[in-house]
This record gives sequence, structure tokens and C-alpha cells, in this order.
Amino acid sequence: MIRVAAVGDIHMGLDSQGTLRPSFETLPQCADVLLLAGDLTRHGTTEEARVVAREIKDLPVPVVAVLGNHDHHDDRPAEVTAILRDAGAQVLEGQAVVVTAGGARIGVAGTKGFGGGFVGRCAGEFGEPVMKEFVRYSRRCADGLLGALKELDEQDCDVRIALTHFSPVADTLAGEPAEIYPFLGSYLLAEAIDTVGADLAVHGHAHAGTEHGMTTGGVRVRNVAQPVIGQAFHVYHLAGRERVPSA
Amino acid sequence: MTDHDSTRPPGPAAADNLDYRVAHLAERLAAGPLGELGVRLVPHGESVLLTGTVPSTRCRDEILGLAREELAGHPVHCDILVAGTSSPDHGEDLT
Repeated sequence: MIRVAAVGDIHMGLDSQGTLRPSFETLPQCADVLLLAGDLTRHGTTEEARVVAREIKDLPVPVVAVLGNHDHHDDRPAEVTAILRDAGAQVLEGQAVVVTAGGARIGVAGTKGFGGGFVGRCAGEFGEPVMKEFVRYSRRCADGLLGALKELDEQDCDVRIALTHFSPVADTLAGEPAEIYPFLGSYLLAEAIDTVGADLAVHGHAHAGTEHGMTTGGVRVRNVAQPVIGQAFHVYHLAGRERVPSA
Repeated sequence: MTDHDSTRPPGPAAADNLDYRVAHLAERLAAGPLGELGVRLVPHGESVLLTGTVPSTRCRDEILGLAREELAGHPVHCDILVAGTSSPDHGEDLT
């Protein structure tokens, strides 16, 4: 069994130091990896990123993260990424990583993702340049996820997880006003997940949403925004692949 | 059109309109030091209910203070919760 801990939207500010560290230190007893689903800071400043970095530094489980829209607000996503990487986190944007735990290979493909909405109620690549760029940007994020999942497909993983900030499905937005769904996620992310396949999809962003959902292809989706799960993280138990011992 | 020019204050009808005042509060919460996008501001008649979950009691207190300042003259009710930081005592079985 593979144990995946996940949380998003921790929104750490300069007054947040130490609020999550005590719970994160319990991770080795209950999880093999910690996924951070974006919006780790309030404004994406380097000072806030250092608060997050100290919160996760030297944790005894691997940490894999994506950034969220808040982490872009100060226009320094590369610096925020570098600070989190210096603290030991793998920060993904259209990339994949395989971490090992007890011999199991846990593959994570990540992107922040973006909005646009869901089938039948989504933005189109049409009209004003800013509107076309909105949809093209969302498509580039989804394409990055697709490529990363394909990369995992060739790396003999026991489980494959799609990690995003924006939601791939509408299921986990239930509780949010329907009018803002196009700003909370995009079906393009789910299409990427269902095209390659995954064992779990994890996202944040929708604070008033619900935890449980599923893609149309049957991949379980979990909204781990901290306001949704109400704890420092949630843990999901996944079946590892049966491995045939070599002769 | 919105007009934030201090030399040309909005007319009395716009200035007193609770909907617009709530919208301006939402903009102020997002643009200000809290960067808060996750609090819902719901007019109920002449009063406004604040709901959502924020990272700390300090955030909640600051949001409530801003709301009372921006919506002076209207009762403000606060149901904002502070995010839990405890460890879970079990995992969800997806095997």
C-alpha cells in the first residue's frame, strides 16, 4: 500500500511560521510522500516562500509541489520555486518526478493548471486577444500535464498521480457559486489525465468546494484545499502494483 | 463604470448601494495585504454575512474590521472559520 498525504491552499504569510510544522513532523508515521497543491503563499513573495520553505525543510518524507495563482501574484514564480527547491521540495510545472518509498515508485506529474471551465460551459479560443490567450494558456498547462503523465508512463511507476492547483473536474467545486467555475478549473486537465491514465488526481484552489470527485474516465479526484479538508493534510491509501519477483 | 476619483465622488444612489459596497470590499480584500479571495460576502437584506475559511484568527479579525469599516451603517455577521492544522487520525482507502 502506498500512502499519499496532500494539502493545498495553506496560504502562508509572515505570521504563519510554525502553524503546520508540528503536524508535518507526524508524516513519517502515516505517509510516504507529501503533495502540496499550490497557493502555498498569500502573495507569492520571496519572504512568504521562505516561511513555507522553513515549514517543509528536512521533512523525512519527499515533498512534491505545484504553485498556485497566489504564488504568482508578486510575479516571482521562478524565485518562489527556487526557494522551495532549496528546502528540498520538487516543484513541478509541466514536469514529472518519481519518488521512492519502501521500494515503491510514486510518480507525480504536475502543473498549476488554469481556468476556462467545463464541457458545455467553457471559454473558447475566440475573439479578443486577451480571451484567446486565456484559453491558450490553460491549454499549455494541460499539455504540460499530458506530457508529464506520458513521461511517467515510461518510468515503471507503482502509482501515478496528477497534481494541479486548478481543478480538472466540476465535481469537487460543489459548494462554490456556479458562476465562478470557469475561474476554478478546466476540463482540459481532466482530458489530459484520462488520455494517459492516473491512479489519483489531487488539486486545491476551490476553498468552498468538496473533497471527492472523479473524472469521466474514472480517475478519482480529491480537492485538498486546506479549508475543504479542515486539517494540515489528508492521506490517501493507494494499491501498489503487483510486482513479479525476478527469477 | 466605477469612478474612484476622490474629486468626483459617486452620486448618492451609487454610494449607498449595498451591492456596490460589497463588491468594493471584495476588491479591497483581494488587493490588500491579506490577498484574500476565499471569503464570501453575502448580502442578507440590509446586513452582510461573511463566510469562508482563513489561515489565522488574525486574518479573520482583520477581515471583519475591514468589512465593518467598508460597510459602516450595515450590520456585518461573521461566520468565518480558521483553517484546522491538526493531523488526520486515518487515511482514505482508495485501494
